[in-house]
Amino acid sequence: MEDIWNRYRASDFFDELITEKGGARVAARQAVNMLRKLSGAELAARQEASEVAIRDMGISFTVYTEGGNIDRAWPFDIIPRIIPAKEWSRVSDGLVQRTRALNCFIDDIYNKQRILADGVVPAEIVLESPNFKEQCMGMSPRHGVWAHICGTDLVRNGDGKFYVLEDNLRVPSGVSYMVENREITKRALPELFENHSILPVDDYPSQLYSTLASLSPRERRRPTIVVLTPGIYNSAYFEHAFLAQGMGAELVEGTDLFVGDDECVYMRTVDGPARVDVIYRRIDEDFMDPEAFREDSVLGIPGLMRSWKAGKVAIANAPGAGVADDKVVYAYVLDMIRYYLREKPIVNSVPTYLCMREADREYVLANLKNLVVKPANESGGYGIMVGPHSDAATHKKFAKLIEENPRNYIAQPTLSLSTAPTFIENGVEPRHLDLRPFILQGKDSWVTPGGLTRVALVKGSLVVNSSQGGGSKDTWIVEGKR
Amino acid sequence: MTMLSSVAERLYWMARYLERAEDTARLVSAYNHLIMDIPSGSEPGWDIMVKILDAQEQFAQRFRVANEQNVLKLLLADEESPCSIPYSVKAARENVRTTRDVLPEDAWELMNELHIFTRDNAEKSVGRRNRHAFLAEFVSRCQTLNGLIQTTLSRDHAYRFIKLGQLLERADMTTRVVDVGAGDILDREGNFAAIDPLLWSSLLHALSAMSAYRRQVGPLIEKNAMVDFVFMEPAFPRSVRFCIRGIREELGPLKNNGATLRSIERIRRRLRRFHAEQVSRAELHAFIDEFQHQVNLLHRSIDATWFQPEA
Repeated sequence: MEDIWNRYRASDFFDELITEKGGARVAARQAVNMLRKLSGAELAARQEASEVAIRDMGISFTVYTEGGNIDRAWPFDIIPRIIPAKEWSRVSDGLVQRTRALNCFIDDIYNKQRILADGVVPAEIVLESPNFKEQCMGMSPRHGVWAHICGTDLVRNGDGKFYVLEDNLRVPSGVSYMVENREITKRALPELFENHSILPVDDYPSQLYSTLASLSPRERRRPTIVVLTPGIYNSAYFEHAFLAQGMGAELVEGTDLFVGDDECVYMRTVDGPARVDVIYRRIDEDFMDPEAFREDSVLGIPGLMRSWKAGKVAIANAPGAGVADDKVVYAYVLDMIRYYLREKPIVNSVPTYLCMREADREYVLANLKNLVVKPANESGGYGIMVGPHSDAATHKKFAKLIEENPRNYIAQPTLSLSTAPTFIENGVEPRHLDLRPFILQGKDSWVTPGGLTRVALVKGSLVVNSSQGGGSKDTWIVEGKR
Repeated sequence: MTMLSSVAERLYWMARYLERAEDTARLVSAYNHLIMDIPSGSEPGWDIMVKILDAQEQFAQRFRVANEQNVLKLLLADEESPCSIPYSVKAARENVRTTRDVLPEDAWELMNELHIFTRDNAEKSVGRRNRHAFLAEFVSRCQTLNGLIQTTLSRDHAYRFIKLGQLLERADMTTRVVDVGAGDILDREGNFAAIDPLLWSSLLHALSAMSAYRRQVGPLIEKNAMVDFVFMEPAFPRSVRFCIRGIREELGPLKNNGATLRSIERIRRRLRRFHAEQVSRAELHAFIDEFQHQVNLLHRSIDATWFQPEA
């Protein structure tokens, strides 16, 4: 039998499972040895089994196209990505540290603005950002926490170290797929789980429940929590339903809720109005309350901001939390950790050039072909230019965009994203990937063991977004030999 | 258990659409049988089904001639017309899609399969050859979904609103079938009297009441006994009386049920006073007309009380 792993070459980048010499990394050894016993055809059968499981479980996401919305099956690669528990524990500490600092920052910005007064972060980049919400000034949510659910994008660079690429503090999604990916692997490759000690991921909904419950304005044994969705046509509706079900919470749309004369939020039930304590909102804050934000919003609940500011309801993530979710502000997160926590940052950020700073801008314009340029306020991988993969015309176009609106652009060195063996056409080939762990913060903090690994299925591509041809992998945090 | 008004409304409509689709399939199936038994020229026109479903306008928008092909095209294959089976299935599916979390795990999968089955087969079943097989399997798939709900859904609010929708739709459909079907037979005034028993029995078939009637009343099918049976038989689960009693039971545990209970009481009183042998053709029609009006008021009362409550 031909060993399809013999041809696998991982020498150009840091590979998650295979060393430069071609052997399996320690934490991955057992799994790789087992996988090597499967032929290409057998592996293909397992891949197919995983796709059947995805269909049966109804795991889908929605793609918006010009021709209408399509519900697509979730793209999944069966070979898991494996990280040693010892390494993860340090990363996890770093993520908690980072999220704490970010929350200190948001709370500071909407109150005393010490960090601006002390000149650590330039005031104009914060106060002139569209993510800064005047309406939130003077607010101090429970535990001083604004970003309760944070989805942080990590990448592993050529040096083998993890770097934070992005902090998603608004409505990060993907966590349901993390849980489902494990379930799929259990169905498609059950024998992999023998003799392994892999940290479970399926208690995320209970952890989320505890975090949200700790925000309740009323002391109750079981506070009433709802998940607020924009509705069935949202690309993450599957996840909204998944989380509501996992927490035993109601999945509501704006029209299910109203604010009463007592400024409390109620949901309309067949037994009459029922007071809501905590709203886990999965709609953009601009659409949350037509009284406070966009008047034309039909998704929102009039008066919701009043209720929140009166302390009658908790909202996660808090409105305004997005002020720290900005690629320009990102450049200052390590300074925030030193400033608020007086600690040394555990996990690094990627070096970032701010086009608004003259020296940085000159450097960026002179080195466009080596850099990745990103708009400061887009998500989902849209509007990005990867210098080495773009032609001269694109470089020119971005030079113009940057000169016209420098505040809106940042640049970073092109990273050598790590790879992992991925099943491609009956063989195994390296593909680039990233990792999105989720950090919960309420009364306590908690980090998912691992997270959602996204993989660029196109050879050489660095774009992992599922809306743009990315797939995903189950992510294992593996305890060492006992 | 909390139940959002919007979720209750979707469950109620899901059940109504499913019942409507199944009842329509039974109706078409019964008529399909009948047509093969009676000499041509003496059968009721195909448009009788369009009348039963109160779909004359929808029919007129699409077709001119009320022949077999056109009527079946409308009822079996026209996804855009609210009287069609595919329309009901699509509407039921949309409602299940957004209430998955309160239904048994397999409900969505079964609903989805029913939708795919209908989409793939309805068009092909307009012709006589595949029609019977399609309708039989369709009814059986509806029954599977109902069985799942019956055997695995907790008897809480979710079940209650499903039951309300199902029973209300069934009572409505039963009276429609009797109104138009019996009307058609009686309007013949003795012409083709030889085939009358065939027509009465096909009416029982359309209501899935044939074997129950035989065991309860006997093998001879006669108008008054039949109408009485379909309206008043307390033990037969598709009789109007049974449906109304079921609705009353489900309303019992709901809050703010005063107005709706009064509405159902009015219906029950009317029904108790009904005796088939004492009414003429015209009186039967007037009775059913009034009954359907009352059922409509009942629906509006349910809607206003639990689905659109005042803030």
